[in-house]
Amino acid sequence: MLAGFLSLIGCQLLGEFIQRALGLPLPGPVIGMLILFIGLCIRGDVPKDLEIGSQRLIELLPMLLMAPAAGVFFLGAGFADQWPAFIAAVTLGTLCTLVFCGLLIRFLHGRTDKDRKDRA
Amino acid sequence: MSELLHGPLFAITLTLLAYQGAMFVYTRSGRLALFHPTISGATLIAAALMLLQQDYHAYYQNINWLTFLLGPATVALAVPLYRQLHLLRNMAGPLLITVTVGAIFASASALIIAWLFGANHSTLLSLTTKSITTPIAITVTQDIGGVTTIAVASVILTGVVGITTVTWLFEKLDIQDDRLWGFCLGLSAHAIGTSRAFERSPVAGAFSSLALCLTGTFTAIFVPFAARWFM
Repeated sequence: MLAGFLSLIGCQLLGEFIQRALGLPLPGPVIGMLILFIGLCIRGDVPKDLEIGSQRLIELLPMLLMAPAAGVFFLGAGFADQWPAFIAAVTLGTLCTLVFCGLLIRFLHGRTDKDRKDRA
Repeated sequence: MSELLHGPLFAITLTLLAYQGAMFVYTRSGRLALFHPTISGATLIAAALMLLQQDYHAYYQNINWLTFLLGPATVALAVPLYRQLHLLRNMAGPLLITVTVGAIFASASALIIAWLFGANHSTLLSLTTKSITTPIAITVTQDIGGVTTIAVASVILTGVVGITTVTWLFEKLDIQDDRLWGFCLGLSAHAIGTSRAFERSPVAGAFSSLALCLTGTFTAIFVPFAARWFM
Protein backbone atom coordinates (compact mmCIF):
# COMPACT_ATOMS: atom_id res chain seq x y z
CA MET A 1 0.00 0.00 0.00
CA LEU A 2 2.87 2.39 0.78
CA ALA A 3 4.45 1.69 -2.61
CA GLY A 4 1.12 2.63 -4.17
CA PHE A 5 0.99 5.82 -2.11
CA LEU A 6 4.51 6.62 -3.28
CA SER A 7 3.43 6.39 -6.93
CA LEU A 8 0.53 8.75 -6.17
CA ILE A 9 2.53 11.48 -4.42
CA GLY A 10 5.38 10.93 -6.91
CA CYS A 11 2.98 11.72 -9.77
CA GLN A 12 1.63 14.69 -7.85
CA LEU A 13 5.13 16.05 -7.27
CA LEU A 14 5.95 15.62 -10.95
CA GLY A 15 2.64 17.32 -11.82
CA GLU A 16 3.38 20.27 -9.51
CA PHE A 17 6.85 20.54 -11.03
CA ILE A 18 5.53 20.56 -14.61
CA GLN A 19 2.85 23.08 -13.66
CA ARG A 20 5.44 25.49 -12.29
CA ALA A 21 8.02 24.87 -14.99
CA LEU A 22 5.56 25.51 -17.84
CA GLY A 23 3.27 27.97 -16.00
CA LEU A 24 0.21 25.86 -16.85
CA PRO A 25 -3.25 26.96 -15.56
CA LEU A 26 -4.01 23.30 -14.75
CA PRO A 27 -3.59 22.32 -11.04
CA GLY A 28 -0.57 20.10 -10.20
CA PRO A 29 -2.63 17.13 -8.87
CA VAL A 30 -4.69 17.14 -12.10
CA ILE A 31 -1.49 17.00 -14.18
CA GLY A 32 -0.33 14.22 -11.84
CA MET A 33 -3.56 12.36 -12.52
CA LEU A 34 -3.00 12.65 -16.29
CA ILE A 35 0.62 11.46 -15.89
CA LEU A 36 -0.49 8.42 -13.88
CA PHE A 37 -3.24 7.74 -16.40
CA ILE A 38 -0.80 7.81 -19.33
CA GLY A 39 1.60 5.62 -17.31
CA LEU A 40 -1.14 3.04 -16.71
CA CYS A 41 -2.08 3.05 -20.40
CA ILE A 42 1.56 2.38 -21.35
CA ARG A 43 1.98 -0.29 -18.69
CA GLY A 44 -1.29 -1.96 -19.57
CA ASP A 45 -2.36 -2.92 -16.05
CA VAL A 46 -2.65 -1.54 -12.51
CA PRO A 47 -0.02 -2.70 -9.93
CA LYS A 48 -1.69 -4.28 -6.91
CA ASP A 49 -0.17 -1.79 -4.44
CA LEU A 50 -1.44 1.14 -6.45
CA GLU A 51 -4.88 -0.43 -6.81
CA ILE A 52 -5.20 -0.83 -3.02
CA GLY A 53 -3.64 2.54 -2.18
CA SER A 54 -5.81 4.51 -4.56
CA GLN A 55 -8.96 2.69 -3.53
CA ARG A 56 -8.33 3.48 0.16
CA LEU A 57 -7.79 7.15 -0.64
CA ILE A 58 -10.88 7.42 -2.85
CA GLU A 59 -12.96 5.80 -0.09
CA LEU A 60 -11.74 8.58 2.23
CA LEU A 61 -12.92 11.37 -0.09
CA PRO A 62 -16.23 12.04 1.75
CA MET A 63 -14.24 12.53 4.97
CA LEU A 64 -11.62 14.77 3.34
CA LEU A 65 -14.43 16.98 1.99
CA MET A 66 -16.24 17.35 5.34
CA ALA A 67 -13.89 19.95 6.80
CA PRO A 68 -13.92 22.30 3.78
CA ALA A 69 -17.71 21.84 3.64
CA ALA A 70 -18.07 22.95 7.27
CA GLY A 71 -16.73 26.32 6.11
CA VAL A 72 -20.22 27.10 4.72
CA PHE A 73 -21.33 27.79 8.30
CA PHE A 74 -18.52 30.29 8.87
CA LEU A 75 -18.67 32.53 5.79
CA GLY A 76 -19.29 35.54 8.01
CA ALA A 77 -21.25 38.78 7.78
CA GLY A 78 -19.48 39.96 4.61
CA PHE A 79 -21.26 37.25 2.65
CA ALA A 80 -24.75 37.88 4.07
CA ASP A 81 -26.07 39.85 1.06
CA GLN A 82 -24.67 37.23 -1.33
CA TRP A 83 -26.66 34.28 0.02
CA PRO A 84 -29.81 34.65 -2.18
CA ALA A 85 -27.75 34.86 -5.39
CA PHE A 86 -25.47 32.07 -4.20
CA ILE A 87 -28.28 29.66 -3.29
CA ALA A 88 -30.30 30.45 -6.42
CA ALA A 89 -27.28 30.02 -8.70
CA VAL A 90 -26.21 26.74 -7.15
CA THR A 91 -29.61 25.05 -6.78
CA LEU A 92 -31.22 26.25 -10.03
CA GLY A 93 -27.93 25.96 -11.92
CA THR A 94 -27.43 22.37 -10.79
CA LEU A 95 -31.01 21.34 -11.60
CA CYS A 96 -30.71 22.93 -15.06
CA THR A 97 -27.33 21.22 -15.62
CA LEU A 98 -28.74 17.79 -14.66
CA VAL A 99 -31.75 18.19 -16.94
CA PHE A 100 -29.66 19.66 -19.77
CA CYS A 101 -26.99 16.92 -19.61
CA GLY A 102 -29.59 14.19 -19.19
CA LEU A 103 -31.53 15.27 -22.27
CA LEU A 104 -28.37 15.91 -24.30
CA ILE A 105 -26.75 12.54 -23.58
CA ARG A 106 -30.01 10.69 -24.09
CA PHE A 107 -30.38 12.40 -27.46
CA LEU A 108 -26.76 11.72 -28.52
CA HIS A 109 -26.70 8.18 -27.18
CA GLY A 110 -30.08 7.33 -28.70
CA ARG A 111 -28.86 8.63 -32.03
CA THR A 112 -25.66 6.55 -32.05
CA ASP A 113 -27.65 3.48 -31.03
CA LYS A 114 -29.97 4.09 -33.94
CA ASP A 115 -27.03 4.71 -36.30
CA ARG A 116 -25.58 1.35 -35.35
CA LYS A 117 -28.88 -0.41 -35.86
CA ASP A 118 -29.29 1.33 -39.21
CA ARG A 119 -25.84 0.23 -40.31
CA ALA A 120 -26.36 -3.33 -39.13
CA MET B 1 -6.08 22.28 29.33
CA SER B 2 -7.60 24.57 26.73
CA GLU B 3 -4.45 24.46 24.58
CA LEU B 4 -5.45 20.88 23.77
CA LEU B 5 -8.50 22.28 21.93
CA HIS B 6 -6.27 24.38 19.71
CA GLY B 7 -3.95 21.61 18.50
CA PRO B 8 -4.01 19.23 15.55
CA LEU B 9 -4.67 16.23 17.81
CA PHE B 10 -8.06 17.59 18.83
CA ALA B 11 -8.91 18.80 15.32
CA ILE B 12 -8.13 15.43 13.73
CA THR B 13 -9.96 13.52 16.48
CA LEU B 14 -13.00 15.76 15.95
CA THR B 15 -12.88 15.15 12.19
CA LEU B 16 -12.60 11.35 12.49
CA LEU B 17 -15.29 11.30 15.16
CA ALA B 18 -17.62 13.43 13.01
CA TYR B 19 -17.00 11.03 10.11
CA GLN B 20 -17.90 7.98 12.22
CA GLY B 21 -21.02 9.77 13.49
CA ALA B 22 -21.94 10.84 9.96
CA MET B 23 -21.54 7.29 8.61
CA PHE B 24 -23.71 5.98 11.43
CA VAL B 25 -26.47 8.52 10.74
CA TYR B 26 -26.20 7.91 6.99
CA THR B 27 -26.53 4.10 7.16
CA ARG B 28 -29.25 4.35 9.82
CA SER B 29 -31.27 6.74 7.64
CA GLY B 30 -31.26 4.13 4.86
CA ARG B 31 -28.65 6.13 2.89
CA LEU B 32 -30.86 9.18 2.56
CA ALA B 33 -29.06 11.67 0.27
CA LEU B 34 -29.65 14.54 2.68
CA PHE B 35 -27.60 12.69 5.32
CA HIS B 36 -24.65 11.98 3.04
CA PRO B 37 -21.47 11.84 5.23
CA THR B 38 -20.04 15.01 3.67
CA ILE B 39 -23.19 16.93 4.64
CA SER B 40 -23.93 15.43 8.05
CA GLY B 41 -20.21 15.31 8.93
CA ALA B 42 -19.75 18.99 8.04
CA THR B 43 -22.79 19.89 10.17
CA LEU B 44 -21.42 17.91 13.11
CA ILE B 45 -18.02 19.63 12.82
CA ALA B 46 -19.58 23.09 12.57
CA ALA B 47 -21.86 22.37 15.55
CA ALA B 48 -18.92 21.13 17.65
CA LEU B 49 -16.78 24.16 16.77
CA MET B 50 -19.61 26.55 17.65
CA LEU B 51 -20.35 24.76 20.94
CA LEU B 52 -16.69 24.80 21.94
CA GLN B 53 -16.31 28.36 20.61
CA GLN B 54 -13.43 27.40 18.37
CA ASP B 55 -12.27 29.35 15.36
CA TYR B 56 -13.00 27.59 12.05
CA HIS B 57 -9.86 28.84 10.31
CA ALA B 58 -7.64 27.64 13.16
CA TYR B 59 -9.36 24.25 12.99
CA TYR B 60 -8.84 24.10 9.23
CA GLN B 61 -5.13 24.88 9.67
CA ASN B 62 -4.88 22.07 12.21
CA ILE B 63 -6.19 19.41 9.87
CA ASN B 64 -3.75 20.36 7.10
CA TRP B 65 -2.32 16.90 7.53
CA LEU B 66 -5.65 15.39 6.45
CA THR B 67 -6.59 17.84 3.69
CA PHE B 68 -3.12 17.29 2.21
CA LEU B 69 -4.48 13.89 1.13
CA LEU B 70 -6.85 15.60 -1.34
CA GLY B 71 -3.84 15.96 -3.69
CA PRO B 72 -2.88 12.26 -3.90
CA ALA B 73 -6.62 11.38 -3.86
CA THR B 74 -7.04 13.44 -7.04
CA VAL B 75 -4.09 11.62 -8.64
CA ALA B 76 -5.66 8.32 -7.51
CA LEU B 77 -8.71 9.04 -9.71
CA ALA B 78 -6.52 7.97 -12.65
CA VAL B 79 -6.95 4.34 -11.54
CA PRO B 80 -10.77 4.10 -11.88
CA LEU B 81 -10.50 6.25 -15.01
CA TYR B 82 -8.06 3.73 -16.52
CA ARG B 83 -10.30 0.85 -15.46
CA GLN B 84 -13.25 2.46 -17.29
CA LEU B 85 -11.39 3.19 -20.48
CA HIS B 86 -13.07 0.28 -22.23
CA LEU B 87 -16.47 1.78 -21.35
CA LEU B 88 -15.49 5.03 -23.02
CA ARG B 89 -14.53 3.36 -26.30
CA ASN B 90 -18.09 2.32 -27.14
CA MET B 91 -19.66 5.68 -26.35
CA ALA B 92 -16.74 8.11 -26.77
CA GLY B 93 -18.57 10.56 -29.06
CA PRO B 94 -21.72 11.18 -26.98
CA LEU B 95 -19.75 11.24 -23.71
CA LEU B 96 -17.10 13.71 -24.88
CA ILE B 97 -19.67 16.04 -26.43
CA THR B 98 -21.80 15.93 -23.26
CA VAL B 99 -18.77 16.69 -21.05
CA THR B 100 -17.64 19.65 -23.14
CA VAL B 101 -21.05 21.24 -23.56
CA GLY B 102 -22.24 20.20 -20.07
CA ALA B 103 -19.21 21.60 -18.24
CA ILE B 104 -19.60 24.96 -19.96
CA PHE B 105 -23.34 24.87 -19.26
CA ALA B 106 -22.72 24.14 -15.56
CA SER B 107 -20.46 27.16 -15.12
CA ALA B 108 -22.42 29.48 -17.37
CA SER B 109 -25.87 28.69 -15.89
CA ALA B 110 -24.61 29.38 -12.36
CA LEU B 111 -22.93 32.62 -13.46
CA ILE B 112 -26.00 33.91 -15.31
CA ILE B 113 -28.41 33.12 -12.43
CA ALA B 114 -26.04 34.63 -9.84
CA TRP B 115 -25.58 37.72 -11.99
CA LEU B 116 -29.38 38.13 -12.35
CA PHE B 117 -29.64 37.95 -8.55
CA GLY B 118 -27.02 40.67 -8.23
CA ALA B 119 -24.02 38.68 -6.99
CA ASN B 120 -20.75 40.58 -6.64
CA HIS B 121 -17.55 40.01 -8.58
CA SER B 122 -15.83 37.65 -6.14
CA THR B 123 -18.97 35.51 -5.68
CA LEU B 124 -19.24 35.17 -9.47
CA LEU B 125 -15.61 34.11 -9.79
CA SER B 126 -16.05 31.57 -6.98
CA LEU B 127 -19.09 30.01 -8.67
CA THR B 128 -17.34 29.08 -11.93
CA THR B 129 -15.94 25.86 -10.46
CA LYS B 130 -19.13 24.65 -8.77
CA SER B 131 -19.48 21.46 -10.80
CA ILE B 132 -15.95 20.17 -10.36
CA THR B 133 -14.38 18.17 -7.61
CA THR B 134 -13.10 20.15 -4.59
CA PRO B 135 -9.32 19.69 -4.92
CA ILE B 136 -9.45 20.92 -8.51
CA ALA B 137 -11.97 23.66 -7.68
CA ILE B 138 -9.77 25.00 -4.86
CA THR B 139 -6.71 25.27 -7.08
CA VAL B 140 -8.57 26.84 -10.00
CA THR B 141 -10.42 29.35 -7.78
CA GLN B 142 -7.18 30.50 -6.19
CA ASP B 143 -5.69 30.82 -9.65
CA ILE B 144 -8.44 33.13 -10.95
CA GLY B 145 -8.80 35.15 -7.72
CA GLY B 146 -12.05 33.79 -6.26
CA VAL B 147 -12.75 33.05 -2.61
CA THR B 148 -11.87 29.46 -1.68
CA THR B 149 -14.52 29.03 1.02
CA ILE B 150 -17.31 30.21 -1.29
CA ALA B 151 -16.00 27.97 -4.07
CA VAL B 152 -15.95 24.97 -1.73
CA ALA B 153 -19.40 25.88 -0.43
CA SER B 154 -20.77 26.05 -3.97
CA VAL B 155 -19.15 22.73 -4.87
CA ILE B 156 -20.62 21.02 -1.80
CA LEU B 157 -24.08 22.55 -2.20
CA THR B 158 -24.04 21.54 -5.87
CA GLY B 159 -23.28 17.97 -4.79
CA VAL B 160 -26.08 18.04 -2.23
CA VAL B 161 -28.63 19.40 -4.71
CA GLY B 162 -27.46 16.85 -7.27
CA ILE B 163 -27.81 13.76 -5.11
CA THR B 164 -31.05 14.83 -3.45
CA THR B 165 -32.83 15.53 -6.75
CA VAL B 166 -31.31 13.14 -9.28
CA THR B 167 -33.45 10.07 -8.52
CA TRP B 168 -36.71 11.97 -8.87
CA LEU B 169 -35.54 14.11 -11.80
CA PHE B 170 -34.24 11.22 -13.91
CA GLU B 171 -37.36 9.20 -13.19
CA LYS B 172 -39.39 12.07 -14.66
CA LEU B 173 -37.02 12.34 -17.66
CA ASP B 174 -37.06 8.55 -18.01
CA ILE B 175 -33.26 8.21 -17.87
CA GLN B 176 -32.74 4.85 -16.16
CA ASP B 177 -29.70 3.53 -18.07
CA ASP B 178 -27.04 3.23 -15.33
CA ARG B 179 -24.36 4.50 -17.70
CA LEU B 180 -26.18 7.72 -18.60
CA TRP B 181 -27.50 8.14 -15.04
CA GLY B 182 -24.01 7.91 -13.53
CA PHE B 183 -22.35 10.01 -16.18
CA CYS B 184 -24.73 12.96 -15.77
CA LEU B 185 -24.49 12.80 -11.99
CA GLY B 186 -20.68 12.75 -12.06
CA LEU B 187 -20.65 15.64 -14.52
CA SER B 188 -23.06 17.81 -12.51
CA ALA B 189 -22.26 16.76 -8.96
CA HIS B 190 -18.58 15.58 -8.97
CA ALA B 191 -17.30 13.42 -6.06
CA ILE B 192 -20.48 13.62 -3.98
CA GLY B 193 -22.47 12.52 -7.01
CA THR B 194 -19.94 9.78 -7.72
CA SER B 195 -20.16 8.26 -4.26
CA ARG B 196 -23.95 8.28 -4.68
CA ALA B 197 -23.63 6.65 -8.13
CA PHE B 198 -21.50 3.82 -6.69
CA GLU B 199 -24.42 3.07 -4.37
CA ARG B 200 -26.73 2.65 -7.37
CA SER B 201 -24.43 0.22 -9.20
CA PRO B 202 -20.72 -0.28 -10.04
CA VAL B 203 -21.46 0.68 -13.65
CA ALA B 204 -23.14 3.94 -12.62
CA GLY B 205 -20.17 4.62 -10.32
CA ALA B 206 -17.66 3.91 -13.07
CA PHE B 207 -19.38 6.28 -15.50
CA SER B 208 -19.75 8.86 -12.76
CA SER B 209 -16.02 8.87 -11.96
CA LEU B 210 -15.26 9.01 -15.67
CA ALA B 211 -17.46 12.13 -15.93
CA LEU B 212 -15.90 13.57 -12.76
CA CYS B 213 -12.37 13.22 -14.17
CA LEU B 214 -13.26 14.56 -17.61
CA THR B 215 -15.34 17.50 -16.29
CA GLY B 216 -12.64 18.41 -13.74
CA THR B 217 -9.87 18.33 -16.30
CA PHE B 218 -11.83 20.18 -18.96
CA THR B 219 -13.10 22.87 -16.55
CA ALA B 220 -9.63 23.29 -15.04
CA ILE B 221 -8.34 24.06 -18.52
CA PHE B 222 -11.08 26.35 -19.81
CA VAL B 223 -12.07 28.37 -16.71
CA PRO B 224 -8.66 30.05 -16.19
CA PHE B 225 -8.53 30.98 -19.87
CA ALA B 226 -12.16 32.16 -19.95
CA ALA B 227 -11.64 34.14 -16.73
CA ARG B 228 -8.62 35.93 -18.19
CA TRP B 229 -10.56 36.74 -21.31
CA PHE B 230 -13.60 38.14 -19.41
CA MET B 231 -11.79 40.15 -16.70
